[in-house]
Order: sequence, then structure tokens, then C-alpha cells
Amino acid sequence: MNEFDVVGKSVEKIDSLSLATGNARFTDDFRLENQLHLAILYSPHPHAEILDIDDSEARKMNGVVDILHYKNVEGVLHTTAGQGYPEPSPYDTVLFDRKVRFVGDRVALVAAEDKDIAGKAIKSIKVEYRILKPILDPEKALDKGAPRIHDGDEFTPIPVKYSPERNLAAEIEIGFGNLKKGFKEADFIVDEVYTTQFASHAAIEPHAALSYLDEQGRLVIITSTQVPFHVRRIVSMVLSIPVSRIRVIKPRIGGGFGGKQEVLLEPLVALVTLRNKRPARLVLEREEVFRSTRTRHPMRIRLKTGVGEDGRITTLKMDALLNSGAYGTHALTVLSNTGAKVLPLFNKIENVHFIGRSVYTNLPVGGAYRGYGATQGYFALNQQLDIITRKTNQDILKFLKDWHIREGETSDVFRALGEGKEGVSQIIKSCKLDECIDRGAKEINWYEKRDKKIRARGDRVKGVGVAIAMQGSGIPMVDMGSATMKMNEDGSFNLNIGATDLGTGSDTILAQIAAEVLKVPVEKIIVLSSDTDFTPFDVGAYASSTTYVSGGAVKKCAEKIKGQMLDVASGLLESKPEELIIADEKIFNKKKGKAVSFEEIAFHSLYRENQFQIQAEASHFGIESPPPFIAQFAEVEVDKRTGKVDVVKFVSAVDCGQPINPKLAEGQVEGAVINGISYALCEEYNFGSTANLLNCSFWDYKIYTTLDIPEMVTIIVESFEETGPFGAKSVGEIAINGPMPAIANAIYDATGVRLFDSPFTSEKVYNRMKEEGII
Amino acid sequence: MNEIEWFFPERIEEVIEILKKDKVVPHSGGTGILRSDFRRIKGLIDLSLLSLDYLQSNNGIVEIGAMNTYYRVVQKLSQIAPNNVLIKSLSDSASTPLRNRITIGGSVAYFPIWSDLMGPLIALEAGLSLIGEYKGDYPVLEYVRNRELRNKTLITGIRFKPDNWDSYYYRATRTETDYARFNITILLKKSNNRIENVRIVMIGNKERFKRFTALEEYLKGKNIDRVKIQEIGKNLEVSFAGKKMGSPEYVKHLAGVELERGLSRVLAIS
Amino acid sequence: MMEGIFRINGKEKRFTFNPRSRLLTVLRENGYTEVKEGCKEGECGACIILLDGRLVNSCQVLTASAIGKEIITVKGIGDIHSPHPIQEAFVEASAVQCGFCTPGMILSTYYLLKDNPNPKEDEIRKALDGNLCRCTGYVKIIDAVKLASRKMGEK
Repeated sequence: MNEFDVVGKSVEKIDSLSLATGNARFTDDFRLENQLHLAILYSPHPHAEILDIDDSEARKMNGVVDILHYKNVEGVLHTTAGQGYPEPSPYDTVLFDRKVRFVGDRVALVAAEDKDIAGKAIKSIKVEYRILKPILDPEKALDKGAPRIHDGDEFTPIPVKYSPERNLAAEIEIGFGNLKKGFKEADFIVDEVYTTQFASHAAIEPHAALSYLDEQGRLVIITSTQVPFHVRRIVSMVLSIPVSRIRVIKPRIGGGFGGKQEVLLEPLVALVTLRNKRPARLVLEREEVFRSTRTRHPMRIRLKTGVGEDGRITTLKMDALLNSGAYGTHALTVLSNTGAKVLPLFNKIENVHFIGRSVYTNLPVGGAYRGYGATQGYFALNQQLDIITRKTNQDILKFLKDWHIREGETSDVFRALGEGKEGVSQIIKSCKLDECIDRGAKEINWYEKRDKKIRARGDRVKGVGVAIAMQGSGIPMVDMGSATMKMNEDGSFNLNIGATDLGTGSDTILAQIAAEVLKVPVEKIIVLSSDTDFTPFDVGAYASSTTYVSGGAVKKCAEKIKGQMLDVASGLLESKPEELIIADEKIFNKKKGKAVSFEEIAFHSLYRENQFQIQAEASHFGIESPPPFIAQFAEVEVDKRTGKVDVVKFVSAVDCGQPINPKLAEGQVEGAVINGISYALCEEYNFGSTANLLNCSFWDYKIYTTLDIPEMVTIIVESFEETGPFGAKSVGEIAINGPMPAIANAIYDATGVRLFDSPFTSEKVYNRMKEEGII
Repeated sequence: MNEIEWFFPERIEEVIEILKKDKVVPHSGGTGILRSDFRRIKGLIDLSLLSLDYLQSNNGIVEIGAMNTYYRVVQKLSQIAPNNVLIKSLSDSASTPLRNRITIGGSVAYFPIWSDLMGPLIALEAGLSLIGEYKGDYPVLEYVRNRELRNKTLITGIRFKPDNWDSYYYRATRTETDYARFNITILLKKSNNRIENVRIVMIGNKERFKRFTALEEYLKGKNIDRVKIQEIGKNLEVSFAGKKMGSPEYVKHLAGVELERGLSRVLAIS
Repeated sequence: MMEGIFRINGKEKRFTFNPRSRLLTVLRENGYTEVKEGCKEGECGACIILLDGRLVNSCQVLTASAIGKEIITVKGIGDIHSPHPIQEAFVEASAVQCGFCTPGMILSTYYLLKDNPNPKEDEIRKALDGNLCRCTGYVKIIDAVKLASRKMGEK
């Protein structure tokens, strides 16, 4: 294995002590003088036209300073999705519309001297609605005669299929091979439908944004975002102010998971600040986060596979229907990811067809959510494989090993499916999935438990299930990250990056990459990230891009710095650069037995001779997106009388290339797994009779606590990705893909019933057992 | 929102006077008040200076001051009645920081449908000491049936005979820290192989709470071997409303199963 | 409005506050932003403090009921220059991801270890049952509590 000094070591996360001592500041922790507090009025109706808004009473209230709604704010079409530009999401949103499209859609905003006044004023705004028929069932959205949800000038900034007149937010179709031939060759067909539910990101920090005008009258936005540069661009566009007049600062972020890849609050605070020349603060209440922000897209996936008696899959058709909710944020790309991140894993299937449709409904709005469509797709595929291998009496572990993509192989899907255009062809250069499967199986004791239906205490029976998955490392040819560095007198370095640490530890692993190049301890790297005035561009934290893409930029940048240092050192040591080596914060010429310290190099360059600042910049974009791989195993106990499912042990074995910081990589896996288990078993949205979200609180939307988690084992399988910085691939998203299918497969192993519809609540499992005559 | 007035009485007599005021209510832990319609309240009486945090046993009667938190009840009761069902029910309730704040008096007055306190209190046939408009000692059952008793009245303490019941407590939840969809309390006394006495209470059903007196009668005096556990759940007369944790039909099934399991456990039938 | 004196992290403070206000709001407004607001429902634990030595959710405490009391926030047990062993343990165990839940987690740990210096795994899990974390899956947080217990035992 490769020997590194800093990479591969679990150095302390550089911001963790300031967080643990309560020093580090999150958005709402910044003080502003003379600020306005904002409150939002939301639609109580799933679908209605606003005939009139009367804010006269609210305006009369003491302390109310400004009120915004469709009558006084220009409606600039945009997407709230923080994605590459031009975005693959439709421009179907304006700040305040004449129409509301889901319960929780924005109607008006009040800016007031304090929060209570703003809250009270909101209630005194009178809105006259004309109620329209809503679409609550995505299966009916495309029906002839279905109500039209978007009937303005919506458009897509890139040429993709988009038909708002049919409520079609996106459509994708690709295929290769010959589907008919494939089905003909099959001895039997497995044709199943899998559905997944809404889910909240549930970052513990609610969405928050602040704004103020600096001494020069420029707009400064401090915001809890994953995408500071997209925030700047979208605010500029929506409010028609130049980018040069906006500075976006990302402080510490209290978790994102995709929920903060959305530009929701920033234009509002900015607009209030610009109109009133006063600072503004908007921090959502937990209920508002649930009701009005973003959710995981629910999907219905039909998988039709032709199978030979020998267990060979002759053909696969995936038909996906994505419920985009009221707006089309990420509607195309989550959908395409369901194909793009799932189908290549089984590249040996010769005949493949993928058709996906995203539809508008009058329900909460889908958005980016860790896993990004792959989670939904893997739920379907991993169960389908379990069904197929059981029907053909195959060892599923052996089957998975035979069929998954391997080093040196490719898949037509890579080329065919991109973000609203063709994808990027790539050959897999690192894949240790076999080892992941073997080591995971050993840890869960697979062969001692599989098909044994071991009785546990009471009426419980045990089962084990497996799921495998891949993800990507950034969006190839789209995502770009960059870095600048400079050297200081004491041999320390400033590293300025656009990359957005939202709690993942990316500041730390990027510092480790720079430290590795320069052979310095990580403490010598001073990181500043995500301030659009001071750090270079980065698309932001999404698509599992930061380690691979931003990391690539940091590595290049540090190498340039190293080059400049070697130049200076070669003068001082009267050597050729190639005779020099770097170690222990010194540059040596071993032959001559001479060395010069980093400190001397810095002083020399800054003060003594041919003075210059040792500094560099570098940008990087991926020309491919090497996938990490994972094998995940669940051991469950199912109560046969009540249907209650407990996950007792969960094993993840992941190939993420060379982990830059193993403990932080494990942390990404562990967090994703618990989120995934919680999603599989208990997280869901319950709607009332008017499509209003009922469980919009942590009181009633339960996420796992310390008392709920199973025994957790995370195995990082050694691997090296030659195109990644020091061999690294991504690890942020992948681990959320396995829990749901692994648990479903384990439930089947325990009980013989299959759960096609998540979450697997006790009642569903109980009902399925009754339907199948098992109890 | 109107201004709110706080009172910090040091003596019970002062409390009695303050309680006479319009829309002035006691504040014990505050967690219930923050969940109820706080806007209508005009005044709050802080009870922390009244020494209502006693927990003692006198002549076989446990007396618990209303201001004891769940945490304190668990701690102190463990020393004087270590098998008491309240120890399990309250230590599994809510979460550590909330158990440090929720008081027993406030919790009886508030009686949420997920209460982990009321099932055991009803089963223990606890009594309440009230002051104010409805001064006196009342059985807890009467207090929960008659909402009028909450009016301008303060619970100062709770009493019950702990006896030496075998007990069982179950909470139906989606996750461990969820609020119970329903919960079951079973108290049982047996000698040799015979059930001497039994009390069974469920909280969270359509009637809010239910004591299964018919079932208790069926079980009383019975030889343990003769109890047909498998019949009990199916024939349980209880119904549920709402959708949390599943349909009312499913929740009823679950309640039946868990009641049977509870009985098996206390009867030590495997 | 009301007025009251509070002892916060060892210092006496006088605040003027709305009689309906929650302690969380008043603390944050007065600069104690290490006390985080995650839900205001008593569910997430981000706003946890010690009130007269007891672990509570400051969002579930009406300010008036805390007059005269001793309040300890995460800054009260250690700072960046001389961190508490629990704070160090969270750092060393990689238990801090986004860090929003961390002040509450650390205070829950502090409250546990005060009375139970060598907790078993199930006692640790129980002690943290009022703290939600979406980043870590709790694995490294539980490791951190064990590490903190060892560190404090050595001192």
C-alpha cells in the first residue's frame, strides 16, 4: 500500500475543538445591529390561485417595516436548485407567485422589528384564494384532463424534455441492446414495482440566512448553504443586481444532506436588506423546515427483468416515476441518477432500457438528498436481485460478484446518461467490491444465518440481507473546484478553497491533501473556505464531489507551491530542483548534506532576494467520476406477531479509494447508514385531508436516537483510485443506499415476505405476513 | 398576546389566594404549558418555593410531592419501593433532559394521551391532594374523569399504597424516544399458583384510558394454569383512533398481543 | 417585561426578558450562542444546558422559572484554551461532524459522568437519549463518551 505522512491518518478535524467548546459560529450565531426579523406566510392550500392580497392591516401594525408579495416583487423565473449553470432544473419558480402549488408554498413575507411582531403581522394578511383541484397522486399527474400545475412561462435553460402543460417536469429514456430479444431469451420474467416515500433531511440546524450592507454598500449574505457560489449567482439573477455587489459567506453549517443545496432564504433576506437598507435575519422554525423546504423525492420504480433458468439476467427494464412535488428542483437529475448510478453496477446485462418521468404534484417539493435517486433505485434493484437469485437457487453473494462491474470494465450507461445530456464514458480503475462483499459477509456471519430463520427471544425470528451499491465522485465535466495557497514566514500555508464544509470535515481532508504534498503537519495549513470574496470558485458540496474534485484542485495547487519552494531552495542550496527532497519541513540535498528550512525559504522569498510571494492557484474538474463501491449487510429480528422489525446489526464494507482521513470516512458511512435505517423503518410524511403535512416536528417525525441504533460495523477496504487525489474517491453519499434494500431482503430471509413499499412499518410487515398466509 | 404575570408564592396560603384569579395557572416544570394554548394564560404560579418535592413513605403509603420530577421519582422511589411500576414507566418516558423537567403534579394535571405516569397511577389507585377551589383528597380516577377539578385548583401531592405488586409496563412506540401510541400497566399478586389480585390499565385508546375491570374479574382467583392467555388479546374490548403507528385496527391487534405478553410475563408463563 | 439575575458559567448576569420567553431565547439573545436552537420542541437536545446541576432543554424552560438559578453551558465546562477532557475526547474520537448537536451532547456526557464515571454502553446510550444527531450515526459519539470516561479516570 502507499505510504503517506498525513493522508490516511485520522488527524483531528480542524474545526472540531472550536465546535466542541461552543466557539464556532453558525449562521444564527452572528449578531447584527438594527436588524429586521422576517416571517413567512405559507399557503394553506395545495393548489390555488391568489386573487388578492390585502396587507393593509399588517402594515398598520407597530414595528412592521416591510411586506413582500406578488404585488410588489418582480417575478423572475428561476430554479432554487443550486446546480451547475445553466441548470438542468426547470425555471418554474418566482419569489412570490400568484399561484400556490403546495401546502407550505410561499405567499408573503413580513419584515419587522422583532420576531413576534413579524409573526403576528403574518396572521393579519388577508389572502383571497380561488381553490384549484390539486394533483396528489403522481400516477395521475400525466392523465389527460389533469389540472395543470405550472401554466406560466416556465422553461428549461437547457434543451431537455419538459412539458409543464402535461405536468411533466422531466423525461429521460435510454436503452441499448435489444429488449425484445432479451425477454425472448429469458425463461421467466420477474416484474415488480417498488415505491419509496418522502423524507426530511432533518439536519439539526434549521435553514437560516442573514444579510447586511457592508461599509461600501455591498450586500453580504451569511447563510447555511452547501452552495455559496450558486447562492451568489442566483441572488444576482433573481434580484437583478451584479455579482460584484454580492458577497456570500458560509460559516459553520449544521448539516445539509442535500437540503441546503437549495437557494430558498437568501433572496428573501437580500431583498429586505436592499429595500430597507437594514440587516435582515431569517431562521426557519423546525415546522417550517418540514413544511416548506425540500424532501427526498418519492419514487415508484417498476423493474422488469428477463431471467434464464441458469440465473442469467437477459434483460432489464427500469421504469421510474418521480414525484417532484410542486416544483421541478432536481427533478431531471435525481431521476437520471436513478439510472446512471444504479444500472452500470450490473454492466453485464446486455439489453437494458431505462425510462424515467418526473411529474409535478401539489405535494412538498423534492430536492437533493444524500444518495440522490440512487437510493431509490438501489432499493428496487437489490430486492429484485434477491428475488432472482432465490428463484434460481443461487448464492446471492456469488451472483453479485459474478455480475457487478469490475476494474477495466465500462458500462454503456456512463456514456448514455448525463445531467440532461449525454454522459461521460469511463473505465473503472478501482473496484474492490468483491473484497467488500467477502469481508462484510464474514462480519455478519452470513452463511451461518442466511436461510436459517433462527428463532430469537419471544416470537422473533432472525434474517440477514445484503445490498450492494456504487455512487460517483462528482459530476464529470461539470463540477469544478479550485484552490489558492500562499506561504507564510513560519512555513505555514494559507489554503483558500471554495469547497463547502457542511460538517463533513472537508476543510480537514483538503488540508491533509495539501499537507501531504508539502510534507507538513496539518496544523501548518490554515484553511479558509467558502467566502465568495476571498476564496476561489467551487460548485459546492454535493454529488459526492468535494474529496475528488476540490481535493484534486488542492493537490495541484500545493504541487505548484512545492515547485516554487523547490526553485527558491535550489538557489539557496545551489542544486538542481530534481536533486532536492522535501521532508520534516525542510528541503534537503542529501548528496551535499545540506538543507534549508521552510522558514528560511519563506523569509528568503519574502524579504531577501528576487522577492515574491510563494503562492499558487489551481482548478480541477473531473473528466470522469470514479464510483466508490459498498456492500452492506443487515441482520434483523422480526416479531412475527406484530410485524415489528429491529435491525440488530449492520455491516458496511466500503471501497472509497484511499481514505484521506479514515475516521472521518467511517463517520460519513455511519451517519448515512443510520439515516438509511431510520428512513427504511420509520421516517415518512403523513398528510392530512388537505395535503397538509401532519408530522412536521421531531415530536412526530421520528429519527433514530442512541437507543435505536444497532450494532454497527464499518469496514474500509483498501483501494487506490489512480485518478483521485492520493488515490481517493468519494464516500459522502454511498452508504445511504444499502440499508433499505438490505433490511427488506433480511425481512424476507426472516419471514418469507417481501416489502415493496417503504418504510417497513410494523403494520406493513404484519399485513404482508397475513397476506402471504405466514401468520 | 397579553402580558403574563408571574407569582412566586412561598406559602400554600398565598397559592390559594392567587389561584382565585382569572386564567392563572400553576407552573411546575413548564413542559406542558409550552405545549398547551399558552396564549390564553394570564398568570403563572411558580411552585418551586413551596417544598413540594418530598417523597416519603408513611405507614405503607408513599407520598410524592407534586414538584418531583420524573427523574427524582425514579431515584427516590427506587430506594423505598424498588419494584414499583412507576420506576420503569417513568425512566422510559421522554428523554433524560425532559425527565429532569417534567413534574409529577404537572403531568397529572396535563395528562397527555401518551402519558407514562397515568397508567401506573390509575392502576395503583392513587389519590391526589388538591388545594384551591376543589380542596381535598380525590382518587386519581375521579380527577381524570372530572375536568372541573382542574379549575383554580392545584395538585400538591400524590399518594398510593405501593404494596408488593408484580408489575409490567409496556409502551408502544415507533422509536425508543417516541411518545407512546398506547401503554399498558399490569399489576399482579399471586400466591402459590393462584392469581390473588390483578389490575390492568391502558392509556392512549379512544377513551383516553381504560381499566380492564372485566378482564381483571375473570383473572382474579384463577389458577394460573387455567388462564387462557391466547384468548385475551383477540377479545380485548378497546378501540383506537388516529393513524400514528398504524391504523386503529392494527393498533388494537398490537395492544392485544402486548397485553397477552405482559400477562404471560407477570404470570411467569413462557 | 421582567428582570432577573442568573448565574451563568460562574458569572452573575442580569437580564430583562419577556415573561413568556423561553430560557433558550434569552440566553441566545444575550450572547450565549453556544446554546443552539434546533427545534424548540424539547426533542433535539441542541439547546441543552445544566440548570442547578440538572440537564434540561433550555427551550422547555420558561425564563422566569430559572431566575436566581445556576446555568452552565458548554462554554462553562471548558474553552478552546483549556478544554474539558470531554471536549477533548469528542475531538479525538472524531465525534464532531457538523458540531451543531455537540454542545448538547457534551453536556449530556458531563451530566452522565458526574454521577457515573464508568458507564456501561447501555447507560451511555440512555444518557444521550435526548440528543439528536443526523451526521454521525452516534457511533463515534458513544466512542467519545467512553474515551472521556477513561480520560477523566486518569486525572
